[in-house]
Order: sequence, then C-alpha cells, then structure tokens
Amino acid sequence: MTEAVRTRGLVKAFGQQVAVAGVDLVVPAGSFAGLVGPNGAGKTTTLSMITGLLRPDGGLVEIHGADAWADPVRVKASIGVLPEGLRLFERLSGRELLAYNAELRGIPRAEGEKRAAELLAVMDLTESQDKLVVDYSTGMRKKIGLAAALLHNPAVLFLDEPFEGVDPVSANTLAEVLRRYTASGSTVVFSSHVMDLVERLCDWVSVMSRGQIVAQGPTDEVKSGRTLNEAFLELVGAGGSGEEGLTWLGSSSG
Amino acid sequence: MVGVFVRLKLRLIAGSLKGTGGRRAGFLFSLIAGLLVAIAGFYFLSAPRAVDPGLAADLGIIFFSAILTMWIAGPLLMFGLDDTLDPARLALFPLRTGQLARGLLASSAVGIWPLASLFAMTGAIFGVGRSVTGVLLGIVGVPIAFACCLVVSRLVTTGLSGVLRSRRGRDVLAVAVILVVLGTQVPGLLLNSGLDIGLEAIAALAGVLRWTPTGMVVHAMADGGLVGLAEIVAVAVFTVACAWLWIVALKAALVRPDASSQSGGSVRRSRFGGVLPEGVVGAVAAKELKYARRDPRGRVTWASVLAVVVIMIFSTRNTTGGEPIVWMGIFPVWLGGLVMALQATNSFGIDGRALWMNAVVYAKPEALRSDLAGRHLAICLIGFPLLAVTAVATGLLTRPEWILPAALVGWGVMGLVFAVGSFTSVYIPYTQPERINAFTGAAPGQGGQAFLSSIGSMVGGGVLSLPVLIPVMAGYVWVSALMPVLGFGLAWLARRRASVIGLRRMPELLADVSKPT
Repeated sequence: MTEAVRTRGLVKAFGQQVAVAGVDLVVPAGSFAGLVGPNGAGKTTTLSMITGLLRPDGGLVEIHGADAWADPVRVKASIGVLPEGLRLFERLSGRELLAYNAELRGIPRAEGEKRAAELLAVMDLTESQDKLVVDYSTGMRKKIGLAAALLHNPAVLFLDEPFEGVDPVSANTLAEVLRRYTASGSTVVFSSHVMDLVERLCDWVSVMSRGQIVAQGPTDEVKSGRTLNEAFLELVGAGGSGEEGLTWLGSSSG
Repeated sequence: MVGVFVRLKLRLIAGSLKGTGGRRAGFLFSLIAGLLVAIAGFYFLSAPRAVDPGLAADLGIIFFSAILTMWIAGPLLMFGLDDTLDPARLALFPLRTGQLARGLLASSAVGIWPLASLFAMTGAIFGVGRSVTGVLLGIVGVPIAFACCLVVSRLVTTGLSGVLRSRRGRDVLAVAVILVVLGTQVPGLLLNSGLDIGLEAIAALAGVLRWTPTGMVVHAMADGGLVGLAEIVAVAVFTVACAWLWIVALKAALVRPDASSQSGGSVRRSRFGGVLPEGVVGAVAAKELKYARRDPRGRVTWASVLAVVVIMIFSTRNTTGGEPIVWMGIFPVWLGGLVMALQATNSFGIDGRALWMNAVVYAKPEALRSDLAGRHLAICLIGFPLLAVTAVATGLLTRPEWILPAALVGWGVMGLVFAVGSFTSVYIPYTQPERINAFTGAAPGQGGQAFLSSIGSMVGGGVLSLPVLIPVMAGYVWVSALMPVLGFGLAWLARRRASVIGLRRMPELLADVSKPT
C-alpha cells in the first residue's frame, strides 16, 4: 500500500490549549478518506498543518513520501486545498478566480480557460460565472473553491468541511466530481462531522478526538458491524442520552 | 418596554468596554471626544451672549443645522455597528410597532453622542435667548430640536435599511465615508485660497439655514415673540409628522423581504487582461487592478490619494508669492508618488483571508517575488499617469521646464517606498478591515503595526530620496533622472530579499492578515 499522506507526531498548541497532540494520520493513495471528529477535535488544525498554512510545533508531514515543510516545491504542486471558512477573493468573479489560480499555478492561459470552462459547467456555475464571489451563496462558494482546488489536477486533495451548508443538489454534484476524481487513482481527504455522508462516500476513515487519532482504517473495519455513527460515538466516548433535565421542554401549552 | 431597550443599549455600550484593548481604547477615545464636543459645543453656543444678538442667532442657526446633518449622516455611517439601528434585528420579537418605535427612539437617545449633542444644544438657551420669553421658548424648543434630530435620523436609517443591508449599499456607503472626511477639508481650503468668509457670508448662510427644523428653533429663541412660538409649534408638528412617517417605514421594513440575499449583477470581463504578462506577475497585477476598482477599500485609497494630490497642487499655487523655487514644482509630485506607493507597505493586507490561495501555490521565493512585483506593477499602472498629470499641472503653475524632472522624481520615489514596503509587508503585516473606519485602518490590536508600517515607509522613502532631492533643490535639476534608477533598482533588490523572508514567514503572515475585525 503506498501512502498518499502520512503524519508523524504532529503537534500544535495555541498558548495553553493543545489543539493537536501527536497526530499520526495515514491515508493510502487512491482512497476517498474521511477525517471525522467532534467540534474542537483538531481536524482543521491538522489539515492546515498538512497543507502548509499553519506551522506545526512538532512532527512530520509527508505527501507521497516528500516532506511537506522541508520540500514544499514537490509538495505544493501536487496538492489541492479547500480550507474552512470559504475564504476566497471576494471581488473577483467565479471565472476570474479560476483564471487567477490557473495563472498562479503556471498553467498556460488557453489551457486554463479550457479547464475553467469545463469545471464551471460541471459545477453548474456557468450562468453565474461573471458574478462576484461576494454575491455567491454558500453552495456556490464551496463549488467554486473546489473547482479552484482541482484546476491543476493535484494528486491529493484536502477539503475542510466541503459539504457544510451546501444544498443537496450542490452536495451531490460535489460528491460526483470527487468520486470521478478518486476513481482515477487520486486521493481525497476531507473533514466532516456528518457520519452518514462519510459512511456513504469514504472507503477510509480516520477518527479524531481531543487532538489525537483514536481509530483509522478501511471504513468497514472501523465500523466493525455497527453504523459509522454508533462506532464514532463509542470511539469519542460520548455519554448521556440527554434525558436528564429539560422536563419543561415539549408538549407546549402556549 | 422602553426600559428594556435602554438597558439593551447600555449593555451594548458596556460590552465594548469588555472587549480587547483596541476596542476599549476606541470607547475611551469616543468618551473623551464626546465630552470635548459637548463642552466645546456648549461654549460655542453660549459664548455669543457677549456679541451682537443677530450674529449670535446666526451662529446658533448654523450650528444647530450642522447638528441635524450629523444626526442624519452619522448613523448611516455607523450602520451595522449599532445593532439597535437595524429594525430587522428585532423583527422576530413579539412586539407591537408602537412599543418597538418607543423603544428604538429611547435607545437612540442613550449614548455618548446623543448626550453630548443635547448638552451642547442647551448652550443656545444662554447664548441666543435674550428675552424671558426667548429663554422660555428655548427651554421648550431645545428638547424639541433634539427629538427632531432623533426622529429624522431614525426615519432616514429605517427608510434606507433595506439598501444599507445589501452588499452594494454598503459598498456605496463605505466610499461615502471618504466624502465626509474630504468635506471637512473644504473650509480649510477656502480659507487658504483667501476667500473672505466675513460676517456677510455667515448672515447669508444663516438666512437659508434658518428654515431647517433645528435652525427654526434657534430663530424662535432669538425672536422670543409670537413668531417664535409659531416656529416652535411648526417644528413640533414636523417632528410628530416625521415620527408618524418613521412608524410607517418601520412597519414596512419589518415585513419587507431581506434585500441582503439578492445577488448583484455580473461584472464586465476585462478587455485588457490579455495585455498583462502571463504568469504570477500578470495575474496578481490584474487582480490588484480589479480590487482598486471593485473593493471599497481600493476605491477609498485611490480617492484619498487623488484628494491629497489635488490639495497639494492647490496649495502650491497659493503659496507662490514671488519667483517660484524648484521645491514648489517638485514637492507636490514627490509627495503624490510617496502617498500612492504607501499602499505597498502592507501589500498582502487587501487579500486578507484569501491570501491562502497564493500561499498554497508559492513554493519558491521567486514566486513571492513575482507576486510583490505584480502588486507594484498595478500601483504603477494607475499611479504613473496620475503623477504625469500632476507634474504637468504643477509645472504649468510654476515653470513648464520642471514638468519632466518632477515626474521623474515622483515615479522614482514610488520605487523607494516599494523597497521599504516590501520589507514592512513581510515583517509587520496587518489586517485591513473590510468595513472602513475613520479612525483606524487595522484590525483591533494591530494599530501599532499599521502605524509603524506606514510611517516607517513614508520616512524611509523620504530619507532614501534625499541623495537625489538635495542636488535637485540645489539647482542640478538633471539629477532627477537618477531617481527612477535608484527607486526601481532598490525596489528590485528589496523584492529579492523580502520574498525569501516572506516565504519563510508565510504561515505567520497569513495569520496576521486574517485577524477578525
């Protein structure tokens, strides 16, 4: 099994608070991998350090065997990123945003335009291609962000919560594009806390809790006969059914 | 219900005290400023007791009209900062329109600025009221004038709240801020130009403004008779009418669909994009040019640069007494170049949270170097022609043979600021808030970086240009030809060095330009 992504002992602390406490993430090449965990588990911090946007306090990141922080020249060309928070160039149109990315990546102008037009068509954004990104809806922003991340045909794609706040139609489009992409041998790593989605899409799951990986492997192994949601709740040690208190809630009289 | 709204407003004010150092400093600043305005206003309105009653009334009328104008303009600029201004925030609470109206009115009377203006306005009772009846009318009239300010201001914000919540409306307002700032410069310029602002001008202005609602109140105080009483009644009726209109507008605003989700139209595709070189330099330059046009921050920056240039040309003409000296021909263009290039002192600030898009691509210093070059190129593409025009205008006002040397100096000094700015951009980057604020251009807590970066680059650019400026001043005007060589040579060297540092500091740089504002 060749590994697309491997981290060893990745650590990050913000002041007193340890966000990531020694993460050893493994993702085999060609897999559609889900990184799941409750809020504050350190998913975003981990992905930011892997993609070179946040400096780790310690540990190692390897993308297809190359050290991401020591050898950025090899790594940056081979990864695509969609970080959390939909941070895009707000005053460019969708089309201009793709053209900008293509030029930064050194894709010849004509080729960039061709790829952008195809991506816009697949993402169902052709009609809004000349509108400013600031006027896009959440789903449109996720789609244009994904298009920008795919433009240079990276070997590994990192997506932070790509389906959050996306309508079902756009989510389906995103999933279809990603499935086609992994079918060709490329790798997708995405974070989410929607278990049904991860269970449906992913063949590899890494479960994070309190800054560490608590389980990872092929989805079926991690599930081991349960639903992914049940397995997840057990792994992160979620207790309490929420039945205590709140006696006043429900059967409202007014 | 009124009590709840007043407490809400007080909570909001107290909340700003709990915030970070920057916000607390901002509150303290407005507290001191409010106190000063209150005292100064009171003094300004009460002191004319010593002068001719007619002049006192005229000054009072102008001042009261100014207060009303501020009440209309101020909240528009504050929209989105004061949560009690937007009726949509309260639309879901089970309140009757009447309750809501009384509550909102009460909450807008609470705060530093409302109290400051009420206090200042009472000064007129002492300064303008010369008879017992005049003072009595003042005691009734000043609260009515204050109520009028509150109601008119509410009417305007509520009427425009739909527009203000949309992206385009906010964009227009952001640019309007600069007009307000420039507006404050007009009296100074007029004085500078030697226009005689004498007593006649004041009387003429007051003659018009006395028909404004608040102006009428002052006129009533000065009159002190039946005419005055009629005027106070008229203002009261006007205020009640506005209040009624406001309640109608409020009702409409509460049920109107939210305009903020309406998307804007399409933008025109660039016709000249193909002219720029292919690659990082061209891509970044094209993006920067689009931001100068489409982002309110870009528009404000260039509008203020333009204002500085125009003011400089203007004052050069006016200080010319006898024979012009070289400095007069060169200085406006030199300063124009300096100010334009200041945008490059925090090059990555305008990208803000989107800068990661560049960061995930740049693996070698050369890429970041091209990025910086692209940003500098964009400033030059707008700045060079602008400086050329400035040089021509200045030259025609002084001596035509100084046009070319002035232009060379102006273009060259841009390069010098680019050189210093390349380093400040990577060493002390800061977040440029998307909402423009008249007091600070940085995120809370980063005011120091912003100050250091712009002052440092300005002084740096100034000092670096001395080796050329001194000989030019001494009469060796041809030395100005060296300025572009010096400027763009140093800028080239600086980009080489700063890109290495910047790439190493990229994660920190990203964090610094994407602070919450």
